[in-house]
Amino acid sequence: MNDIVVRDDLSLVRTGTQDFVTVVLAGQTLGIPVLSVHDVLNPQQITRIPLAPSWVSGVLNLRGKIVTAIDLRQRLGLPPLEKGKQSMSVVVEHKDEPYSLQIDTVGEVLSLDDADFERNPVTLDTRWREVSRGIYRLENKLLPILDVDRLLAFESNGKAA
Amino acid sequence: MDDLLNEFLTETGESIDVVDVELVKLEQDPNNKEVLDNIFRLVHTIKGTCGFLGLPRLESVAHASENVLGKFRDGELQVSEHAVTVILESLDRIKEILAGLEATEEEPEGDDSDLIARLDAIAEGAEAAPDPEPDTVEGEIVEPTLGRPLKAGEVSLEELEAAFANAPGPEEMAAEAPAPASSGGGAAGGSLFDRVGGEDTLAVAAHLISQRLGGDSELSKFFAGTAADLRKGQFMGLMMAIFKDDIDAADNVARQIVTVSGFNDQHFDTLITLIKDVLVECQVDSDVADEAVMSFELVREGVVSAAKALAKAPTNKAGTASGASAGGAAASSAPASEQKRTSQSIRVSVDLLEDLMNMVSELVLTRNQLLQITRNMDNSELGVPLQRLSQCTTELQENVMKTRMQPIGNAWAKLPRIVRDLTVELDKKIELDMRGADTELDRQVLELIKDPLTHMVRNSADHGIETPAERMAVGKPEGGTIVLNAYHEGGHIIIEIKDDGRGISVSKLSSKILEKKLASEAELADMSDGQIQKFIFHPGFSTAEKVTSVSGRGVGMDVVRSNIEKIGGTIDMVSIEGKGSTFQIKIPLTLAIVAGLIVKAQDERYAIPQISVLELVRASENSEHKIETIKDTPVLRLRNRLLPLVYLNEVLGFMSRDEIDARENVDDFIVVAQVGAFTFGIVVDQVFDTEEIVVKPMAPILKDLEIYSGNTILGDGSVIMILDPNGIAAKANSGVGDHEREEEDERAQVRRAAAEEKESMLLFRAGGKNPKAVPLALVARLEEVEVNTIEMSDGRYMVQYRGALMPLIKAHPDMNLRTEGRQPVLVFTDREYTMGLAVDDILDIVEEELNIKLASDKQGVVGSAIISGKASEVIDVSYYLNLAFADWLRSRNVADDTVSTKGASLLLIDDSDFFRSMLKPVLRVAGYEVKAVSSAAAALKLMEDGYMFDLVISDIEMPDMNGFDFAAAIRDGSKWENVPLIALSALATERDVNRGHAAGFDDYIAKFDRETLLRSLAQQLKIKGDAA
Repeated sequence: MNDIVVRDDLSLVRTGTQDFVTVVLAGQTLGIPVLSVHDVLNPQQITRIPLAPSWVSGVLNLRGKIVTAIDLRQRLGLPPLEKGKQSMSVVVEHKDEPYSLQIDTVGEVLSLDDADFERNPVTLDTRWREVSRGIYRLENKLLPILDVDRLLAFESNGKAA
Repeated sequence: MDDLLNEFLTETGESIDVVDVELVKLEQDPNNKEVLDNIFRLVHTIKGTCGFLGLPRLESVAHASENVLGKFRDGELQVSEHAVTVILESLDRIKEILAGLEATEEEPEGDDSDLIARLDAIAEGAEAAPDPEPDTVEGEIVEPTLGRPLKAGEVSLEELEAAFANAPGPEEMAAEAPAPASSGGGAAGGSLFDRVGGEDTLAVAAHLISQRLGGDSELSKFFAGTAADLRKGQFMGLMMAIFKDDIDAADNVARQIVTVSGFNDQHFDTLITLIKDVLVECQVDSDVADEAVMSFELVREGVVSAAKALAKAPTNKAGTASGASAGGAAASSAPASEQKRTSQSIRVSVDLLEDLMNMVSELVLTRNQLLQITRNMDNSELGVPLQRLSQCTTELQENVMKTRMQPIGNAWAKLPRIVRDLTVELDKKIELDMRGADTELDRQVLELIKDPLTHMVRNSADHGIETPAERMAVGKPEGGTIVLNAYHEGGHIIIEIKDDGRGISVSKLSSKILEKKLASEAELADMSDGQIQKFIFHPGFSTAEKVTSVSGRGVGMDVVRSNIEKIGGTIDMVSIEGKGSTFQIKIPLTLAIVAGLIVKAQDERYAIPQISVLELVRASENSEHKIETIKDTPVLRLRNRLLPLVYLNEVLGFMSRDEIDARENVDDFIVVAQVGAFTFGIVVDQVFDTEEIVVKPMAPILKDLEIYSGNTILGDGSVIMILDPNGIAAKANSGVGDHEREEEDERAQVRRAAAEEKESMLLFRAGGKNPKAVPLALVARLEEVEVNTIEMSDGRYMVQYRGALMPLIKAHPDMNLRTEGRQPVLVFTDREYTMGLAVDDILDIVEEELNIKLASDKQGVVGSAIISGKASEVIDVSYYLNLAFADWLRSRNVADDTVSTKGASLLLIDDSDFFRSMLKPVLRVAGYEVKAVSSAAAALKLMEDGYMFDLVISDIEMPDMNGFDFAAAIRDGSKWENVPLIALSALATERDVNRGHAAGFDDYIAKFDRETLLRSLAQQLKIKGDAA
């Protein structure tokens, strides 16, 4: 298992740039703040949970810890992954509970300049606007940044999603 | 020894040692408020506990010391050396008594009047100045810089004092101390090391010392823990370091030589004598030997303090094994008893145990994984070591579990008292027989079953056991017996509560079941007596008719059942009418690790807790057991009974019923499960084996899924869900589709949201069809009065009640009192006034939001509210009280002037849900509009949002922002600056009251003092009105 472990204690020097792990989801690249990422996992065996909300793909075993897997495609209203392909996981923590975000593939870690940051365009899909912190203008593409806390704040909007 | 006493000794021992240290700190820094408060609190606790345990001697001494400390704290007395001395002396007396207590389990005889008199004198301020008499004993006892006054021990005071009288005074001690330092300094010049004879001599000497120590009766025990060779090396090193004047190294070595606590100065003296003898034997010049021995004084402090630290380390409890040659008699006995207590119990934080438990759980998992892997390997070399690992793990698991175990007797401790009180109140004779009180179970489980147990014993005493007269009439002995029995049985704890009372009447129960529409007559006819009796566990089966002051106030057996099921337990009952009832509770030993049956449905594995599995049945077309259907309901004939079935595939949504029915050549497994009284079968595709599983809670976002109780990691590393038979049963029973279920969930959520605003209302009927309601909090008791005891007096109904005449008012003028049997009566009490409200029927107790829709002009009615879906009149208790007592309202008016303040709006801030819901109806009925919030922050938010109240009532102790800070914030020029503020707190000493006033509260009232609160409300509102 080629886990990339990024620990909390890696201190970032604030120089007007921030680091993000990029992930790809149905062709769209998204950024997740590097400090909120605990693990990146290869495809895992995920146990389904019947009757659970559709955006919960199941639970998986991460070194003896049970992690709830969130189907990010479902959560963001994207079509399900084609048959035969497996999702990778990005493990994040929300309120001391580990969650694994199921994504297609993991990209690189980017150091982005604050100057390139922009707020969400008002016309953005509401489902996206809800979980996006804002957009980075990259040279060849745009990179929405996932707000992990809002993404996992199911307590308030779980029913709707 | 009695557990309580044991705990008390450990705890008090700890407290005293802290106080010892703190007092010395205080003496050096008399103005340190923090230290003083700490001391005061500790001594106060000791006093309180002593009183509780009935230890008068300890209590009186502690009380006298507390007095003096209290005066310090309030600034009435200056902290003086003399006063501290006497307090320390009293602490030593306490230790002495404790030692006696530990040895004999009784307070030793003795007279403390002299000590108490001295403490009292200080408290009076008479001896605030240091004692001028130089020859009194107490003047010499403490050398403050030593910081260790007396020794605890099992010696009489006289002996102790005699020892002190003979002891060298502080001056002598002080003179002794500097001497070694100077001689040590002197030795530095001429290199003692060379003069002693160098390394060779020391090697011989160390060897001899080591040997002799082993043989020395007094010292051997301190060095027994170190091997002779190591000991030799230690002394060698020690002497080299000392003689070479390397003080730091010497100190380091010295601290390690003693490995057993209790080594004191006296022992050190003996040790030095021994060393000197050895040196002389080794041909060292006696002057040099003297000098060498003197230099050992440099490490005296190190050795003794290290030994002391040893004593402290295991229990965090400072050993008293220290001291100069003074009080030798005391010193020799003290360490022994100290050790005894140390070895008996250690206090470890629960967190640590939880961590340990978690680690062990992980270990068990890993072990299981390993076992699984090797199972598939032939002739593996791993077999044997793995076997041992497995064994160790099991033992470790058991032992760690044991650390969390507590005797169930702890949960029973208050039952004898409850039963005793009940026998008095109910005028019954009941004997409580408790067996197996030392049966141990997990503390977490213990906490959770405490309340259900208490409730059930109450029930047995109240409803089960008959009155002596009734018992005699049916030929039973006059006194009833309740037997509590706890024992282990196959990984579970069984608790039985058995009474020989009247049992549960099936006919009465049936009529009530029909009345509540819980089952139809036809259904009842099909049920066995046992099944009918089990309806008492049915939710909604409130025994309101039988409500008395003792039990039945809304906490029904269904709550007991759900509490027990929450911890994975089951409850069962057998009752024979006329003979008695037996309740049997079966609970797991621990919550963390359970045995689970692994089953399969649609290629997924699930665990079902073994505790709820009764048996496994295999069903197929051709076998003896076959699944049959009645219309669409699948059932199984099992030993001449029909067992309702649930398809796991269907429950989990894998398959529809049609798909299930369409299968061919089915070979189903049926897990027969029991949930409370309900037995049903869960049909699964396959059954694997039973595994020990470590229950891990569900992620918070999945908590709403009732059919799972958790998840776990299996031996092969895969995660599986643990099914909750309760949830499955509920889902199967409700028989509703998913859509309806969602709606139900939503309703449940709405209910949860409103839960905070809910109040318990008592519903009754009196004159007319519609129910009437009254907040339960206002009802003192529910009674049934024999109709023939109701008398007419002065044109009013009266009844003799608890030795006084109680007026009886009809709840509705049109209603008639019953002509025979018993008349249900609600009893209201207000100060010295007690009245009975006669009603037709007591219907139920419901939790409802008290939302009075329509105010009423009708006398005696506050307004109408929708309760349980029906319009109900909420009655005005004060009206009836006024009817009963013409002078009641008058006394009220004079006292608190409520009338003029009706309708004022109040804000109530309290973090306790209980308290808020208790106070709210009281205030509402007194005519106020009440808004209740749970924190100061929420209140401030209301202020920001522009709310205005006529008055604010605030609790003091609240998390985050306490009442004082809140008041200060309000008074500091906020919008509510001029709103009267009333503090409500459990802490209501004069100091608190003053502090409250200083913070800006207009009044400060003790919690639970309803009268004063209402009076104060009226007063404050009046003051405000007058000012405006």
